[in-house]
Amino acid sequence: MPDRSTLPAPLLHARDIALRHDAQPFSQTIRPGEIVGLAGLDGHGQERFLEVVAGLKKPAQGTICLAGPDAEIRIGDFRKAVANGIAYLPRDRRATGIFPTQSVLDNFAISTVGRDSRFGLISAASRLQRYQTYRDRLSISAPRPDAAITTLSGGNQQKVLLARALALEPRLLLLNDPTRGVDVATRHVLYDVFRGLAAEGMALVVLSSEIEEILLLCHRVLVFRDHALTAEMTGAAINTDSVISAMFGRAA
Amino acid sequence: MSSRLGGLFRNTGFAIILLIVLLAVNLVLNAARFHPAAWGALIGLAAPLIGAAVASAPVILAGRGGIDISVGPLMGFVNAMVIQVLFLKLGMSSPFLLVPAALLIGGAVGAVNGFLATVVRIQPIVATLGTYLVLTGVTLTILPAPIGPAPGWLKAMAGTWSALPLIALFAAWWIVRRLPYYDQLMAIGSDDRAAYTAGIDVTKVRFIAYVMTGVFAAVAGLMLTALIGSADPNIGQAYTLIAIAAVALGGVSLAGGRGGLAGAAIGAIDIFLLQSVLTSFNVSTYVLQIAYGAILVAAVILTAVQERSARPEEI
Repeated sequence: MPDRSTLPAPLLHARDIALRHDAQPFSQTIRPGEIVGLAGLDGHGQERFLEVVAGLKKPAQGTICLAGPDAEIRIGDFRKAVANGIAYLPRDRRATGIFPTQSVLDNFAISTVGRDSRFGLISAASRLQRYQTYRDRLSISAPRPDAAITTLSGGNQQKVLLARALALEPRLLLLNDPTRGVDVATRHVLYDVFRGLAAEGMALVVLSSEIEEILLLCHRVLVFRDHALTAEMTGAAINTDSVISAMFGRAA
Repeated sequence: MSSRLGGLFRNTGFAIILLIVLLAVNLVLNAARFHPAAWGALIGLAAPLIGAAVASAPVILAGRGGIDISVGPLMGFVNAMVIQVLFLKLGMSSPFLLVPAALLIGGAVGAVNGFLATVVRIQPIVATLGTYLVLTGVTLTILPAPIGPAPGWLKAMAGTWSALPLIALFAAWWIVRRLPYYDQLMAIGSDDRAAYTAGIDVTKVRFIAYVMTGVFAAVAGLMLTALIGSADPNIGQAYTLIAIAAVALGGVSLAGGRGGLAGAAIGAIDIFLLQSVLTSFNVSTYVLQIAYGAILVAAVILTAVQERSARPEEI
């Protein structure tokens, strides 16, 4: 990460967030171009924090504010978050991600259906064109865009969901364990995509259950324990030992 | 285009085969009734059932147990309102007044159903059962006994011009299919949690589906009025269940998100043709009911079998 003084203005302020009534509140800022990792033992609050930032869950206290063109925008619910440039990729692809009865193309376009309309009606050509842009960028391997999404491999389904989120052209992308159940080759494609997005100025928050992923990808990592933010590490300070120690609540 | 037809076949496979078989049988048995010169009257006869089936489909497509069993009574209510109140009492006879008024009534009842099912979150079958009973009672209150006649132009909608309301109905749906709304409707029907995380306003989309069902049911009510050329308070209710049977027969999944209005219409035509075959054998209406039931169960089983063999990899 570059020197603090040259950093761009913060994109997101999390102020006095307490994930539970009995948990220690904390504040955080996220800047454009950053990849922030969230780590912790399963169920220690990192997923709750991601959902709070997405507006899917309410924190016990505190506010999430997004920098706006004029004033700050307070994020109170998920739809408002989406409208203001936050995209969220859910963890459980089968339960809350894909539409199994719909085609690859429809699964891609569902969050952005309004953008394909010409005089109010949907233009199939415009939709296909938008899809192809992301298909190339994410190297989605789907022989037929009109085939059911369930005909694709898990990794490709995940890429279609990522394409859906990216089609929103978000400023902040929230990824809830994005490479869970994805093969190694596809993982590295996704890592390259994430780095590319950050280089273009998008902020990414990645919750990961694998420490190697955090080491490979993140500029900064937030470690959660007992629903509180217990450690923050940057750059070279991030290594397997320090992250694991923090996860188990021991001093590194 | 071929893939579009292929898609229609995949969803409605059994219903289309049944349609072709029944049509052939009818052509042999009832040559006079199925002669092109009689098509106007024939379509007029089938139209209310097709309309009822098409009207039942949007809320079913919207998923999470979406169903509107008040479609039949709403058709009867529109029938009674148009003839008894608007035409005979208030003297409105112009189609430019009566048609919008009927659509407005349908939309309003649909909005009530939608409010109960999506905002108050009463189970759709219970909410629309309430509307079913209320509408049946209100219809009998404003119209205790059958009364006539209907305006001339409306009666022509069951004869020479019988295809017109059906064409209008399908043109409206054709436009809906090209709106962003349609994709959102199919998405919430497919999986509403996924739809929520994709940023869709699930409640609004589902609410609109109920309004659409109400408006389409009003069109079906007008077609019914055209067919009987009068108002009858006891004729509407019977359409509810047979319309749901037609929807299921036409390959629309009652779990939502799969199928379409064309399938529902094909299912309705199947039932109409079956009725026509059996009546030409002079079987009683009781046997007719048994045949509907048997065909419906067979169709749903065959559709499920076909789907399972088409996608063996899906759990």
